[in-house]
Amino acid sequence: MSTGAATGGGAAAGVIHDIGYQRYDGPRLGRWHIAAALCWHSLRSAFGIRRGAKAKIVPVITFVIMCAPAVINAVAMALSSSHARIVEYDTYTPTLRVIIMLVFIAAQAPELVARDLRSKVLPLYFAKPMRRLDYPAAKYAAFTLACLAMLDIPVLLLYLGTVFQVHGFSAVWAQTRAFIPGLLVGLMWAVVLAAIGLALASVSGRRAFSTGAVAIFLFMTWILGHVLVTIAAQQGPGGPGAPPGPTKGPVCSADLQVGHSAAAHLLGIISPFNVLDGVRQWLGGTNCGIVANPGQYGAAYGIALLAFLGAGLAGLFLRYARADVA
Amino acid sequence: MTTTQAPSCKGVIVTDDPVIATTALTKRFGVAVTALDQLTVAVEPGITGLVGANGAGKSTLIKILLGLLPATSGKASVLGCDTTSQPERIRALTGYMPEHDCLPPDVSATEFVTHMGRMSGIPPTAAKERAAESLRHVGLYEERYRQIGTYSTGMKQRVKLAQALVGDPRLLLLDEPTNGLDPAGRASMLELIARIGRIGGDFGISVVVASHLLGEVEQICDHLIAIDGGRLLRAASITSFTTASQVLAIEVDEGIEALAAELARRGLHPVPAERELLVPITSAATFDAVRDAVADLGLPLNRMEQRRHRVEELFRAPAEPAELGGALAADGRA
Repeated sequence: MSTGAATGGGAAAGVIHDIGYQRYDGPRLGRWHIAAALCWHSLRSAFGIRRGAKAKIVPVITFVIMCAPAVINAVAMALSSSHARIVEYDTYTPTLRVIIMLVFIAAQAPELVARDLRSKVLPLYFAKPMRRLDYPAAKYAAFTLACLAMLDIPVLLLYLGTVFQVHGFSAVWAQTRAFIPGLLVGLMWAVVLAAIGLALASVSGRRAFSTGAVAIFLFMTWILGHVLVTIAAQQGPGGPGAPPGPTKGPVCSADLQVGHSAAAHLLGIISPFNVLDGVRQWLGGTNCGIVANPGQYGAAYGIALLAFLGAGLAGLFLRYARADVA
Repeated sequence: MTTTQAPSCKGVIVTDDPVIATTALTKRFGVAVTALDQLTVAVEPGITGLVGANGAGKSTLIKILLGLLPATSGKASVLGCDTTSQPERIRALTGYMPEHDCLPPDVSATEFVTHMGRMSGIPPTAAKERAAESLRHVGLYEERYRQIGTYSTGMKQRVKLAQALVGDPRLLLLDEPTNGLDPAGRASMLELIARIGRIGGDFGISVVVASHLLGEVEQICDHLIAIDGGRLLRAASITSFTTASQVLAIEVDEGIEALAAELARRGLHPVPAERELLVPITSAATFDAVRDAVADLGLPLNRMEQRRHRVEELFRAPAEPAELGGALAADGRA
């Protein structure tokens, strides 16, 4: 690979050897290929691939924890007499999923954007044959794929662990029909959370600030959402212990908590996680998630979802459109 | 697909096509700041020094040439490509080495330069080969597998140059390439740039070196462009105006007037400045004359130093000796 280096290996650094320059006559790829290469490079860095051992700690641990319910489900199904699936495809394990995604995004979104800001490498990217906004677009695509892997690979494992233990075509088909919406929910989570995560992570090149911005926003809105919903439910017309309204599907603990109060339904909207779960239920998901069924307020959750996505993408792209980035 | 192999915008490089041409190029930031003011220059193949004090507009010009900043008015083209209509084409043909630190500390030089090769549009395998090749050309060998954070400033500058070379550009834009280097590092960086930009050399790459140190760039340049306050001071080939630019600073503990008289008697034109004498160097004989004068008077010689004066002074019409001395004294350490 380096015949020239072998002959010059013993020389002190700084000695320049006269090795003839080779022109490059091969193909030159256009901006789409370059953006795809940047996307692939960023996707790998989201999981610490080709980086030091330290960079792999958080992605590996979060991924393993995220996959654990799928494995536990497979084992439980094998051991139980009923062979019934204990984890839902569309919600997976709701609270664990929120916590793990929060940690993953707070730790890994800065890996994609803050490192380049910190080391001031952006002028080099912008001096390459791609357009300025190809950079955030490639980063967004990469982080969406990274989040999708975190969300949907466990769901896929859950599906595989289940279908190998059910018998008959109709049983497999029933599992598959439940599995596909589960994948789509994962995609929805990835698309929205990646936008919010990268927009917040790109506020600063300092890793601590970058991680802090993501963690504080996602965690505080989630906690605050719960607190507000609880307070509103206690003060609302329904009140605690009021009989839940006619909702389709099972009655969840969140439904009991919220009762009928509009405020209780709408205050949860400040958290992207609540909005994602509300939209899932609005679009037909019947399993219990982290929020009560939004019922007639479903459209508000839908609008909030688009607002989070739009604000995240706008923040991210405006950040890189500004001249002072490079 | 956007796969192309054409060497320039017009398909072939036309020899009389200037590497860079600007016409009345103006860039204003807001109302108050005019970074470039009606700048019209043409850069020929070879090595061109773009000299000017800090804030003269060098980096702004480079950013406009790369299509990263829009010009307020005027036109610019690089390798025959217009900066507003074909900026991506320009960036595919141009390697850029920024002034400031721009390297991630936690990857190896090989990985980083390979990645930058990919970002230049080179396929994966070829990018690896080109990265190894570029790093070898800039003089990095086994250490290229080490993390960049462990490198010295000189090695980092070499990595910056290697990433500019990796895409096999037709033009290199180097912004203050000797920044932060020690004298030996400066010399070897300049030697490297001279080798890359030599007309008829095996690289065949035109180079623009932006610098505030005229003394450095004039050693390697074929042409010089001097700008100040965004305006063109002068553009010419190197030989036409650098010969008279050097002075010798002599510092003695005592007898400065006697030495001045003695030097004048020997046909030199010493200019007193604070605690030293400044003597324009006309030929190698100047050194001999100064040495003999000091020795004959038996003066305690503290220091004898070759200097240049500031770019803007140099580019004016031939300076009066008094002006020259004033400029030198104001310059502090040239």
